[in-house]
Amino acid sequence: MTYPALTVITFLPLLGAAGILLLGRGQRARWVALATTLATLAAMAPLCSGFDKTKSGLQFVDLVQWISMGNVQINYQLGVDGISLPFIVLSGLLTLLCVGASWTAIRTRDREFYAALLLAETAMIGLFAAANFFLFFIFWELMVVPLFLLIGIWGGSNRVYAALKFLLFTLAGSVLMLVGMIALQVATPEAGLNFKQLTGTTLDTTLQIWLFLAFLAAFAVKVPMFPVHTWLPDAHTEAPTAGSVILAGILLKMGAYGFLRVALPVLPEAVQIFLMPMLIISVVAIIYGAYVTLSQTDVKRLIAYSSVSHMGFVTLGIFTLDQRAVEGAILQMINHGIISAALFLCVGMIYERTHTREIKDYGGVAKTAPIYATLLALFCLAAAGFPGLNSFVGEFLIIGGAFKTNPWLGAMAIWGVVLGTTYLLWLYYRMVIGEMNPGLQGLKIELTARETLTLAPLAFLALYLGLHPECVLSYLHIPVSELPNIIATP
Amino acid sequence: MNLDALNISWLHPGLVLILGAWILPLLRGWARRALMVAIPAVAVVICLGMTKGTYGEVSFLGLEVVFGRVDQLSLIFSYVFSIMALLGMIYALHVEHNSQHVTALIYAGGALGVTFSGDFISLYVFWELMAISSALLVWQSREPGAGRAGFRYLLVHIVGGLILLAGIVLYGSENNNSFAFGNMAALEHTAAWWLILLAFLINAAVPPLGAWLPDAYPEASVTSAVFMTAFTTKSAVYVLIRGFPGTELLVWLGAAMAVYGVVYAVLENDARRLLAYHIISQVGYMVCAVGIGTALALNGAAAHAFAHILYKALLFMGAGAVIQMTGRRKLSEMGGLYKTMPITLTLYMIGAFAISAVPLFSGFVSKSMIVSAAGEQHLMWIFLTLTLASAGTFLHTGLKLPYYMFFGKDSGLQGKEPPTNMLVAMGLAAAACVVIGVVGLFPSLLYKELPYAADYVPYTLHHVTATLGMLAFTALGFFLLLKHLDPEPKISLDTDWFYRRGSAVFVRSFQQPLARFESGYVGKICDFVILQFVLRVAGLLRNFDTRIVDFSVVGLGRLTQALSQILKTTVSGNVQHYALMMVAGVLVLLALAMIVR
Repeated sequence: MTYPALTVITFLPLLGAAGILLLGRGQRARWVALATTLATLAAMAPLCSGFDKTKSGLQFVDLVQWISMGNVQINYQLGVDGISLPFIVLSGLLTLLCVGASWTAIRTRDREFYAALLLAETAMIGLFAAANFFLFFIFWELMVVPLFLLIGIWGGSNRVYAALKFLLFTLAGSVLMLVGMIALQVATPEAGLNFKQLTGTTLDTTLQIWLFLAFLAAFAVKVPMFPVHTWLPDAHTEAPTAGSVILAGILLKMGAYGFLRVALPVLPEAVQIFLMPMLIISVVAIIYGAYVTLSQTDVKRLIAYSSVSHMGFVTLGIFTLDQRAVEGAILQMINHGIISAALFLCVGMIYERTHTREIKDYGGVAKTAPIYATLLALFCLAAAGFPGLNSFVGEFLIIGGAFKTNPWLGAMAIWGVVLGTTYLLWLYYRMVIGEMNPGLQGLKIELTARETLTLAPLAFLALYLGLHPECVLSYLHIPVSELPNIIATP
Repeated sequence: MNLDALNISWLHPGLVLILGAWILPLLRGWARRALMVAIPAVAVVICLGMTKGTYGEVSFLGLEVVFGRVDQLSLIFSYVFSIMALLGMIYALHVEHNSQHVTALIYAGGALGVTFSGDFISLYVFWELMAISSALLVWQSREPGAGRAGFRYLLVHIVGGLILLAGIVLYGSENNNSFAFGNMAALEHTAAWWLILLAFLINAAVPPLGAWLPDAYPEASVTSAVFMTAFTTKSAVYVLIRGFPGTELLVWLGAAMAVYGVVYAVLENDARRLLAYHIISQVGYMVCAVGIGTALALNGAAAHAFAHILYKALLFMGAGAVIQMTGRRKLSEMGGLYKTMPITLTLYMIGAFAISAVPLFSGFVSKSMIVSAAGEQHLMWIFLTLTLASAGTFLHTGLKLPYYMFFGKDSGLQGKEPPTNMLVAMGLAAAACVVIGVVGLFPSLLYKELPYAADYVPYTLHHVTATLGMLAFTALGFFLLLKHLDPEPKISLDTDWFYRRGSAVFVRSFQQPLARFESGYVGKICDFVILQFVLRVAGLLRNFDTRIVDFSVVGLGRLTQALSQILKTTVSGNVQHYALMMVAGVLVLLALAMIVR
């Protein structure tokens, strides 16, 4: 029996959220959330097994006629191709882990919290599954609301400032994207804002440039690219653990995904014109982000800034337009989603016990918490690009593409990796190795079974994707090769 | 990964060490100790029984990765690495901390991985594995300086690894995506060639990139240091033999290294730091031989690496035993131990004779190959430099160190022979040194194992007499200059004032500035360059980010807020004001309409 799989997967969390809000008082909200996220993840299984990697175009399409006015025809259309499927699975997995991480951390207004989390999941999956720009925009905007609430209500001491900053930055970009979208619709009325149909049309170059700039505003804020990145440290630091995981794991990828879905296929000439500036900004983000990360004293802020640096790698890979590098960049997005989620989870777990984020308050954790120390070591090494773990493959492919484009870019990227390894290993050294910080005496730092279980899938994926990256890369070959102006591998 | 091509009849000994290491924490007591010895023993057996060929070919990301390139060169290095792993484990049997054993075995496994890798990808994986595990080895020591030393060590090796990665990526793009690792002569003087060479030289501790070695090795624990001496530098020598034979630059670098190590060792008071500088010196011989590039020279490099691992381990084991049993590291605090630690002394002296290339010991056989190769190529300055370095080596390791450690003044220390396992390990290493030396008397037995075809007879009358003469004069010089090499010189005025003054001036001329330069160089400049400078830049950029970039956007928000405060005043709640404004607005619009018309 065929059923609209994508619609179910997208809106199941929304149903769960509605269900939670209808519940009475009590701690049942988290159980409903757990059940919903598990069900959503399970519902993705037929998607993965039934996906045909050799076919180009969207699969599992759900199409419903929606807006028809005159010559404007915009439909409700969901579909996945090789690029969106890994992100959808990642969204499902990370939301499940967020529920696990927030199990004991969220005490007040837990119903609203889990409802917001599930709403966010709907928005995430919907964004990646959207087959036209209209739905893309709807889910893009929808995503901001639950996150604003998550940061602003359950966040740290400076949460209102951080939440407002996040909101204003994102909306500023989105407004320009809206204008761009309307302009696009006016220029190509018959396409109905459908991505696949837009890819075929050739737009006037001037229009393309303006559209690229409009979309750049929105995507650059989300990625985040230098210099519009300053919302990220505050948002990540003040957000609760689940919020940070969603922010770092998925939200940042939405910006780069936007480049892949909108900018590259629809605006090829503009991309060619803006190629070098985008590459340079990416490299600046890598190096600048890494240097600023080195100077941080707050561990959550450190990991947040490291995301700026890592996403610099991603945009660098995308704008080299080399097939292997683009595939590496998409793989790196998945890897970064896994690893930064893991790092934020680790930090959040220890914060629950110590209630301090300052690195100087830590030290010598290894003595009393070996499991935690081992897992943190694994994730730090993975983030640093240690070979055999997931980030290495992505970085290797991206650096290869960077060198082909311009040796200086490659050299800068390598320097970025050096700095990256430095700050991660230095963080690890200060937090875990050495003498036990007296402030930590008497605290039971070692992870509980639930927490270890939450981190286990991420550890497994870090190893598995490092040794067998083909399991993600195999999905990417066809859709990436169909992007215009891609330099294919011989 | 496509595993179809994996030849199951070959088991990677490195994998045995790396995976076997993780079983150790699960066992206790004698079972754990038995496993500690069994794992490297299995690796030794595998290496000895290996047949040549190519194994473990795996396809990764469409690239050809070769895990098992077994030929004579990799075999000879694999023998000595696996034997070293075994000796190190025996030496460390008494240590209770499992983490050290796990790390050491992973480190040794990484070295074996580097030895057998046939392409750059697997090489890089194992290279990084070695860097991280050896840094962890330093960090596991309880010494107060271990933390910072380990961090500096790690940074140097990470940077080196990334330079290697850059070189590998460039190599691949110049070579149509083939990453095979072999002689790099075809790419000489390209960017990829320089980067890969630079990375290899960092690991070989070539000055000025080699400051990490004397910085970190003395900070590791007694048993960890034994492991560390063997693997990083010698695997670097292996990859140099494989990839850069005959590169002329290496001849000069190697000779300079040989002298550098010896000269800096003069200044040393810490026993293991002195030995660490001698590692640099001996690796200099090997690097020089790689540069000379003839079959004899390359054989010499391989043979010297083999011999060096064993005798250097023996020297570190001996010095480590003294340090462990007396609790002292500095030579000026030791002395008079020959009464209480005679076995250690004897075994140490065997190692000292081996490093000094005394005939009938292993060093003689290998070092004379290198020096003769230099002579054959008519590189007279190199020949002299290497011979000079030999004299210096004997002076410090063979005479000065044992004199101050075991003889000399009576420091009142109560030494004791170290635990049996340490003595057994030392005894085995000593036996190996003697055996190799004696095997040299039968050249045909030796050449079966060496990678390149050459015939060479180490025990000619000429070689033996030349060496014995050089050693004898060095010993004479030592005893004459004894007072000036004393770590705490006491000056007493008598008739030998004149010649003592002259030699003291000579010693002081390079001792003072060099000593200050050296301690400043290693400690402070590295600290400054690596940490302080980078941290300052990081702080600057953070301030830029907070005060300028962020501020401008937040400033925009504040401006909007200020503007809205001003505009707020128009909303007074007073109906008359609103009526006034509406009338005024209508009048303005009418006026505009009339002007435009």
